[in-house]
Amino acid sequence: MFILGRQKYVKFLNATVLHLILFLFLHKTFNLIKTSALRFSYANESELTFPDIDLKSGEHLLVLGPSGVGKTTLLHLLAGLLPASNGLVTISDTELGSLNRKALDTFRGSHIGLIFQQYHFIKSLSVYENLRLRQSYPVKSMSRERIDELAERLGFSDNLQKKVMHLSQGQQQRLSIALGLIHKPAVVLADEPTSNLDDANCSKVIELLKEEADICKSSLVIITHDQRVTAHFKNQLTL
Amino acid sequence: MSLAFLAFRNMMSKPLNLLLSLLLLVLSVSLVTFVLQLSKQLSGQLDRNIAPFDMVVGAKGSPLQLVLSSVLHIDVPTGNIVMEEAGFLTKNPMVQTAIPVSYGDNYKGFRILGTQHNYLDSYQATVVEGELYTKSFEVVVGSTAAQSLDLNVGDTFMSSHGLASSGIELHEDHPYTVTGLLKPTGTVVDGLLITNLESIWEAHEHETEHGEHEAEIHKHEDEAHEHETEHGEHEAEIHKHEDEAHEHEEEHGEHEEETHKHEDEAHEHKDEREITSLLVKFKNPLAMVQLPRFINENTNMQAALPSFEVQRLMGLLGSGIKTINGIALAILLVSGLSIFISLLKTIRERKQELALLRTYGLGTSQLLWVVFLEALFLTLTGFLLGWLLGRLGIWVASYFTQASYGYNLQLNGFNLFELTLLGVALLITLIATFLASTSIFKLNISKTLSNA
Repeated sequence: MFILGRQKYVKFLNATVLHLILFLFLHKTFNLIKTSALRFSYANESELTFPDIDLKSGEHLLVLGPSGVGKTTLLHLLAGLLPASNGLVTISDTELGSLNRKALDTFRGSHIGLIFQQYHFIKSLSVYENLRLRQSYPVKSMSRERIDELAERLGFSDNLQKKVMHLSQGQQQRLSIALGLIHKPAVVLADEPTSNLDDANCSKVIELLKEEADICKSSLVIITHDQRVTAHFKNQLTL
Repeated sequence: MSLAFLAFRNMMSKPLNLLLSLLLLVLSVSLVTFVLQLSKQLSGQLDRNIAPFDMVVGAKGSPLQLVLSSVLHIDVPTGNIVMEEAGFLTKNPMVQTAIPVSYGDNYKGFRILGTQHNYLDSYQATVVEGELYTKSFEVVVGSTAAQSLDLNVGDTFMSSHGLASSGIELHEDHPYTVTGLLKPTGTVVDGLLITNLESIWEAHEHETEHGEHEAEIHKHEDEAHEHETEHGEHEAEIHKHEDEAHEHEEEHGEHEEETHKHEDEAHEHKDEREITSLLVKFKNPLAMVQLPRFINENTNMQAALPSFEVQRLMGLLGSGIKTINGIALAILLVSGLSIFISLLKTIRERKQELALLRTYGLGTSQLLWVVFLEALFLTLTGFLLGWLLGRLGIWVASYFTQASYGYNLQLNGFNLFELTLLGVALLITLIATFLASTSIFKLNISKTLSNA
């Protein structure tokens, strides 16, 4: 500091404070997930109505409720996998309904991490190659370290070269979680991510989800009726 | 990770399906390319072999056999003709060249052909090593024969009687000396050992002296009578008798100078000297119509036209080739259908994976690309393997044609037809992909991923 002159010192301080204020301001007012008057109906079925959701970055939401009320439907609406019959879904200030199919695919691929209830992998590829593939699209962001780190934390680093079908149910679920997180998405949408996990792995997964969200300032939306999960999140929505 | 890698992995993930599709493709492509190459090369070789000669004159019998034996050196000859008798042809104004050939011996299965130097000129067969034969029992060797027999300039060998390889009946009194090696010509010359006419005669005169001397004399007498009557016919028909007579005398003189041995028999032998056939090149295409008819009707020799006989032969083979090509094309069609069905099945089975890729940010066009690449790999692999198998077939067939006909088949690169075939195969793949991939366009990601 002695090297800098007094004037310069003040300037430096001002700039830092300005940046800090700017950051906090943007951070606080950034609507990560916002829905309004969201409704959806499958053919020949009664219309589902969803309460509005408003999550700022870093805020999480648990979605609870008995089966058949449309929890998974809500998740798919948020991911743009289903078009809403009414209402808007806005993610990172982008209204999903305004995007064409190609743009929606790209947007979803880079901003959203999906963890499915039924695990989906490319069966012809190994565990490592599945993760590698997820890093390759829509924008190339290859990182061997990232794969190793997630595999290490989720406890399947010994199985990276195996075909996915040779993994156990629990390992498959953890791989599915890794696939949802590997590209550091702004929004993680998880459907029953802990259903096949033992207690030890369950707490590992919850810890990982929270930490990842913290680092990337991302939001988690988790469907669950797992008591081990509900205890960790205050913000809950019951359909 | 590239989409190509993914497509490759997808292709390899169903080895049995892959094997079936590949097998059909390989079978059809190899069959089509093999048959085409074989027929093309054989007919090309046939054309090159018959090109120098317009007509063959030989003993009566099958004209095809005469052409096969005297021009293509495949079959056995129809018999011998008397050189004197065919002599009038050399004087005919419509004849450019008339080359006598005589054969009947072989060395380890390679025919020894007695002829004049201008036979070699007809095939543009020049000597690459050593020089042309000048005396009896000197021989120049065709390129494949030299290679197979391991003959070099200065080597000597014993010929054996007959046209097929056999160790028996060696002409031990007359060893041949190799004076020169010929350059490869891609014609029958490559598989021949070529010497002068006298060598063949002398080798066989000797034989008769040793053997059935008495019987031979009786035969000579009979033939002499025959000869007289034939001469009579000639006199009546063509007015060249005087010319011929002069020729007789000239040759008579030459013969006496050359061979001082058989003086007693010389008069007899002059008339009896036989050749297997006379290879004729016309000056004038009109001769094609006139001369063969004249010879067939007025002499006890026959004239055959190589181009006509080969055309007839290829006509017979052609229907076989067409049938095989038809079968191959049918298999190609089935293989196209099999690729289409396996694509359809693949897309149906991988619907969830395709939906998953959409959630990874891949667009519809990229999914199509993955499916197309998988089919493309299959087509390319199948085509290349089939092509290689076809060429392998040619390579194997070359051994047989080499051994039995002295024909060397070349291993050529891609030709225009094969590239067209590849283009058609790729087009079929492209169409099959688009037909099979309608479900990609209509993919309901949400529903597909929810129903495991």
